[in-house]
Amino acid sequence: MFGKPRKSAVLTAAAIALASAATLSAASAPAWAQDVLRIGAPLALTGGLADEGKKQESVWQLWLDKINAAGGIKVGGKTMKVEIIKYDYQTDGKRAGQLAEKLITDDKVDVLMAPFGSGHTKIIAAVTERYQVPLLACVASSESVYDQSFKYLFGTLAPNSGMTDAMAALYKQKLPTLKKIAIYGRDDVFPKSMATSMATSAKAAGIEVAYNELYAVGTMDHSAAISAIKAAGADWIYMTGYTQDLILGRKQLNDLGVKAPIITMVTGPAYKEFTDGLGDLADGVTSSTWWHHATAYTGAAGVWPSTEAFYKDFTTAFKSDPDYVHASCAAAADVLVNAVQKAGSTDKAKVRDALEATDMLTFYGPIKFGPNHMNLGRDMPIIQVQGKDIKVLYPASIANAEMKLIK
Amino acid sequence: MDILQILVNGLVLGALYACIAVGFSLVWGVLNIINMLHGSFIILGGYLTFFAWFYLGLNPILALPVVALVLYALGYVLQYIFINKVVTSPVLTTLTLTFGLDMILYNLMTVYFTATPRRVTMDMGSADILGVIMPMDRVMGMALAFLLTGLLYVVMRASTIGRAIVAVRMDRQAAALMGIRVNRIYAITFGIGALMAGAAGAVFAIVFPVTTNLTGVFLGKAFVICVIGGLGSVPGALVGGLALGIIESFAGFVLGPQHAMTLGFVLMLVLLVVRPTGLIGVKGYE
Repeated sequence: MFGKPRKSAVLTAAAIALASAATLSAASAPAWAQDVLRIGAPLALTGGLADEGKKQESVWQLWLDKINAAGGIKVGGKTMKVEIIKYDYQTDGKRAGQLAEKLITDDKVDVLMAPFGSGHTKIIAAVTERYQVPLLACVASSESVYDQSFKYLFGTLAPNSGMTDAMAALYKQKLPTLKKIAIYGRDDVFPKSMATSMATSAKAAGIEVAYNELYAVGTMDHSAAISAIKAAGADWIYMTGYTQDLILGRKQLNDLGVKAPIITMVTGPAYKEFTDGLGDLADGVTSSTWWHHATAYTGAAGVWPSTEAFYKDFTTAFKSDPDYVHASCAAAADVLVNAVQKAGSTDKAKVRDALEATDMLTFYGPIKFGPNHMNLGRDMPIIQVQGKDIKVLYPASIANAEMKLIK
Repeated sequence: MDILQILVNGLVLGALYACIAVGFSLVWGVLNIINMLHGSFIILGGYLTFFAWFYLGLNPILALPVVALVLYALGYVLQYIFINKVVTSPVLTTLTLTFGLDMILYNLMTVYFTATPRRVTMDMGSADILGVIMPMDRVMGMALAFLLTGLLYVVMRASTIGRAIVAVRMDRQAAALMGIRVNRIYAITFGIGALMAGAAGAVFAIVFPVTTNLTGVFLGKAFVICVIGGLGSVPGALVGGLALGIIESFAGFVLGPQHAMTLGFVLMLVLLVVRPTGLIGVKGYE
């Protein structure tokens, strides 16, 4: 069994060499010039989260092109170019951590941007904290990521609890007979946190939690849970998960004849693929989201002076509507530049302090970090699929439709 | 009523599970290859069906035979060119090779099709029989699962190719001496495994969202089903699939959906200890 050790050793060495070469060539070569702000970004460009990773990549490219077309950014009296160095971590959490370390030690980046999701952000935050490098997380909203007293981690999404309180209050107002909610969440960082948060918010709003269960990652069938939800007789079904779970869940609710006047699927309707995958069944489904392009902020600092300007640039470039991932990530890049400008250099400790003191309005909304470094809560939109459109139900300042109950 | 509904849910799900596992079981049983590509084959079948429906308006049932044949050709070529080179090596070698091929196929699909979940949105409604609700698309999936596994069973028992496959499994050398072209039989077997995966993918495109995120889930299910049902026989996959479907359905209702999958794995572990051949597997295939 130990035959031909040399051949195997040579083959192994060759494989390692090839793999390293592939990794190196995948990254754009870093510029070592003095006046460049280097931003590191480990992204999930292949694997399960590839769609989300590509959203981040594309919006940052749009942002970067605008910045560099304007000649760069003014920092402490000189002009700096901005460069984003990215690696594909293939939706593998362990690899994300390794690449974050490589970006810091090999590529000498000044700051890092976190990838999609609370789980992977948490892994990278542990690395950046060790090396004391500022990390901006634009798609991590679970408080469990931020409650570790990390000094260098900042997030542009607001805490989940803000979303569930407002939703419970709104639905109670729109459907005064609302008595029972069934909560069914995916056992994963963000979806679980939303489900837990909703159970608390519903109880506080005087709604009985008639069913409250989690389903395992990789669940391919929800019929058992849906049969139990049917028996519970809830008039509000609240399901959390990723798009494929929610499509399957909504379809099985229909297949098994479960009806409720309110069906919420977090954050299904925020994604076009949810409505595409469900067709008519998506009609009436509600969700919370952190941002919607119907919001209208003007006089913003950063690359885009208003939500409208961002929307226009984005739709011109990509021929589709931006969602909260695009908006939050582009705004995070603005926040980062703002902090470097305030700090007057790329010194990591100074940038961190400037980030902590951030209080600015971006096209995405106001950004001010709370004690745990998450963006402070504001009125986050509640949206509903109505026909082929996504309508905003809340807050009143940007609402463009009345809530419809599912018949 | 509840118990009957849960039983029906489990049976329908179980038939779909059987559909996943039958091709995987055949390849594992006959070629002694743990085919890591199986989950990606199913998803590829799902994508092809979706595209045929979306761009050409082709009904998934009509697309099924075409998709299955495309997958057969792909499986045949992959086995003939790559896997046959190492087919007699220890199982870890073939596993690593199919794992590598799977990484390529999986990432090609993610790059070109994206991981966005897609579904054939032709809702067929549900039938209500004595208060038990049966979604028609799943019932149709179940019928197709029985039909396909039945067809494979007949092919394996009654056709020359089927007997040649069994002969090669029993004794490679003796089969070669009898004039069977072993490498060709290997390629055909792998092709049939891929064909069954493609057919399963076509059925699934109606029932589940198609996304590359699910390849690992399908592969994991196939693995559990084969261990529960037993390798080396078509009915083994059917029994394993049905058993897993019913167990998950009852566990989901009684213990909560969080523990439904755990119970399937617990059963697999117990069977590995007390009955390695699985429920109805053939001795010598474990």
